[in-house]
Amino acid sequence: MKKEVAYFKVNGRSYEVILTPETTLSELLREHLDLTGTKRACGVGECGSCTVLVDGIPTLACSTLAIAVRGKEVLTIEGLAKGTQLHPLQQAFIDSGAIQCGFCTSGMIMMAKALLDKNPNPSRQEVKEGLGGNLCRCTGYVKIIDAVMAAAEAMGKGADR
Amino acid sequence: MIDELSVIGKRVSRWGAYDRVTGAAKYTVDIKLPRMLVGKVLTSPYPHARIIKIDKSKAEKLPGVEAVITFEDIPKKLFTPNRHDLILYHPENERKDMYVISEKARFVGDRVAAVAAVDAATAQKALELIEVKYEVLPAVLDPIEAMKPGAPRIHDFAPNNISLHLNFPGSRGDVEKGFGEADCVIEETFRTSKQHISQLEPCACAASFGPDGRLTIWSPGQSAFLQRRKVAELFDMPEGMIKWITPHVGGSFGKSGALSVEPICVALTKKTGKPVKIEYSREEDFRGTETRQTYVATGKIGVKKDGTITALQEKLIVDGGAYFSRNSTTSMASMGGFTGLYRCPNVAAEADCVYTNILTTGGIRGYGNSEGTCVLEQLVDKAAKEIGMDPIQLRLRNIKKAGDPDNKGLPMETCTLEELIKVGAEKIGWAEKRARKKQNGTKKYGIGMAIMMDVSGAHPSCIQHRNAYIKFNEDGSANLVVTAYDMGQNLPGACAQIAAEVLGIRYEDIHILNGDTDSTMFDTGIGASAGLYQVGQAVMKAAQEARRQLLERAGKRLRLAPEELEVRDRRIYVKSDPQRGISVAEVTRQATYNLEGEHLNIFGKGSFSPTQSPPPFATVFAEVEVDTETGEVRVQKILYVNDSGRVINPATVEGQIEGGIAQSVGYCLTEDYVINRETGVLESDNFTTYKIPSALDVPETEVILYEEPVPSGPFGAKGVGHGTTIAVNPAIANAIYDAVGVFITDMPATPEKIFEALRRR
Repeated sequence: MKKEVAYFKVNGRSYEVILTPETTLSELLREHLDLTGTKRACGVGECGSCTVLVDGIPTLACSTLAIAVRGKEVLTIEGLAKGTQLHPLQQAFIDSGAIQCGFCTSGMIMMAKALLDKNPNPSRQEVKEGLGGNLCRCTGYVKIIDAVMAAAEAMGKGADR
Repeated sequence: MIDELSVIGKRVSRWGAYDRVTGAAKYTVDIKLPRMLVGKVLTSPYPHARIIKIDKSKAEKLPGVEAVITFEDIPKKLFTPNRHDLILYHPENERKDMYVISEKARFVGDRVAAVAAVDAATAQKALELIEVKYEVLPAVLDPIEAMKPGAPRIHDFAPNNISLHLNFPGSRGDVEKGFGEADCVIEETFRTSKQHISQLEPCACAASFGPDGRLTIWSPGQSAFLQRRKVAELFDMPEGMIKWITPHVGGSFGKSGALSVEPICVALTKKTGKPVKIEYSREEDFRGTETRQTYVATGKIGVKKDGTITALQEKLIVDGGAYFSRNSTTSMASMGGFTGLYRCPNVAAEADCVYTNILTTGGIRGYGNSEGTCVLEQLVDKAAKEIGMDPIQLRLRNIKKAGDPDNKGLPMETCTLEELIKVGAEKIGWAEKRARKKQNGTKKYGIGMAIMMDVSGAHPSCIQHRNAYIKFNEDGSANLVVTAYDMGQNLPGACAQIAAEVLGIRYEDIHILNGDTDSTMFDTGIGASAGLYQVGQAVMKAAQEARRQLLERAGKRLRLAPEELEVRDRRIYVKSDPQRGISVAEVTRQATYNLEGEHLNIFGKGSFSPTQSPPPFATVFAEVEVDTETGEVRVQKILYVNDSGRVINPATVEGQIEGGIAQSVGYCLTEDYVINRETGVLESDNFTTYKIPSALDVPETEVILYEEPVPSGPFGAKGVGHGTTIAVNPAIANAIYDAVGVFITDMPATPEKIFEALRRR
């Protein structure tokens, strides 16, 4: 298939990339931009590991064409911290022991960010439902939910979003 | 050593946490090298077929294709992907029955060719251009059928497809006599579930030869030194010419203890002279990586009216799939679990390991003990019901105590099973809930429990040895160099806590180098919850040696004997006069840059080889609600009471248990590895059809950490993670039995099966 030049904005930075139209967003991020923090565990939109935010909306990068996000703001796990200042969700995942192998972590955190942006004070059940499409094989989710609740509280207290 | 611990027992952040929350952590799938090619594997569409001819010419001509390899292009050496033949004291029970690429297809998914190309799309296209002419052979997909005379033979050396007959060496007493003495004898046949590992990082490997002929392999290998030896032997290389890097690992649960695509990746790298990476799709991972064995397990228990167990017998038919892999050791563990949990004078077990034309099985968390204990614990509940006794009372009647032999026959230093049962029963309100009215409309409530005894490593079956070294930096921090693979269980973090505690510095002062065979010392591989108990001891010894040197050096400065000194929180002080002291950093800096005299790098090395394998224990309670109209089971709550000795990091230990519970809930209720009985094709090859639990599927979970330090462990610690999938399954099954009287013999207990069982009554 014919390659073309496309322009993307990822984590606040502009990129010019030569790619074929069938390139997925996860391929763009991982293979073209070396942003490998976005993981690909199933490749068909069943596990949530590749979740990124496109104009603030949680999006499965494995099932989205790269060209569909031209001109939009893409936020990946690499763009979440401000320099060395971690986002409250990142800090809460560390403090709550919510990370085991870490392969689902990026997608979980991005999904949780979208959730908290929309609902800053969720109940545990709402967090469960919000993360229901993100699979984890290690943690049993208990500490992941703890982390999101802790982050919500920290953010409510004015921690930097 | 001072009484109060400053780092052990603390909820410090896990090793590698910052890398993992920022996306910086590199896993095998993230490895990218200059000129790297993409490798892909062609697999058989037939469960059993002779390969008549492979024409690879069209594929080779496709632009961008750099290599196409078949059976003709690989070393003609039979091997086993499993590591145990290298370290077992009785390797005669292993089978070398596999080639890197198969000469004959033995299951749907068996590897018949591989390609390397400039990108994934070209590699995929090339696979489609490989023309394979098969002679389809009759296949056998069921272990019972496979053993019958006249069944298709899968491997020439194995008549009736029996790869191995095992008489359990721990059999004792006279079971016939024991059953004769019993007032109640129960016998049931179970078919255990072929659960798939489904770690989130797909199976992957990268490999590259340097200009000097040295080979580097990146793979999530959790026994890299043994896996390296296997690759070395296959490709006629000395081990030292191979450097094996284990990057961050996206989950393992046993998978990475065996070789997978590594030899194919090496063959492609060798042929092309360029780096190659293979990364499975999820579908390929489901079709081509390890599952549990299916045990057709016939268990028999005899009990007296007073609850005394008089005899236990287990006969296993083990469906190991197309290749042998870890059949012998998992079967042994299963029989050990069945026969070793309770005091019982008469036990016997035997197993037939059988080949079938389905995906090869492996060794998954719980490793046979999950299945053996589940069968036993369900039989115990059925026996209790028959004799009209509370199942807890029956268990307490037969419970083992400290000094009794464990499930491997070694005397136990500690045994807290009785305490764990009592703590859990009290906490959950067993007596009240067990007596509770069961019916609530169409929903029936039930409560069940089960206990388990696991291992802290593979002693005394295998050689196990561990090595670590610690070197102080000038600034008083230290590097810990150790083979402590982190598949998610945070072994490096626990090792760092041990090192920091012994050295008297802070957790964050320990920098870890891990997973690189060029830098770390030899290690026999992590598995069977060996890590903390065994590697932790090597780290402790290394730290003790470094501490000795540190205090000696400090003593020279302070003109005191080292015995008069103590070190804590980065400061060395005089025991009798704590105000007098010197910082660790001052000592290490002076040791390095001493212009007046002796300069040295403070360095400690530690090695450890176990003489014991103290069992972790657990008691698990499950509360369920069964919908009698739909057959649906909802697990309301799991209470897990755990003794893994001293807890080094409570967050890590709880996390291991919570994860084990979720995997068990999947195993019990939803994870169904469905193979089409006509075609041999896997029908559940994605996360929609093979349902691992989501956040919405896990029950309320409560974990109690009951700590009884074991004398032989590092700070009293034992293993944790491996055993967490053992007692949850039978607790849930027993709760279902309590709720609706349906005795589960075939997991997962799907709504269809429960509904059918209810309908038949």
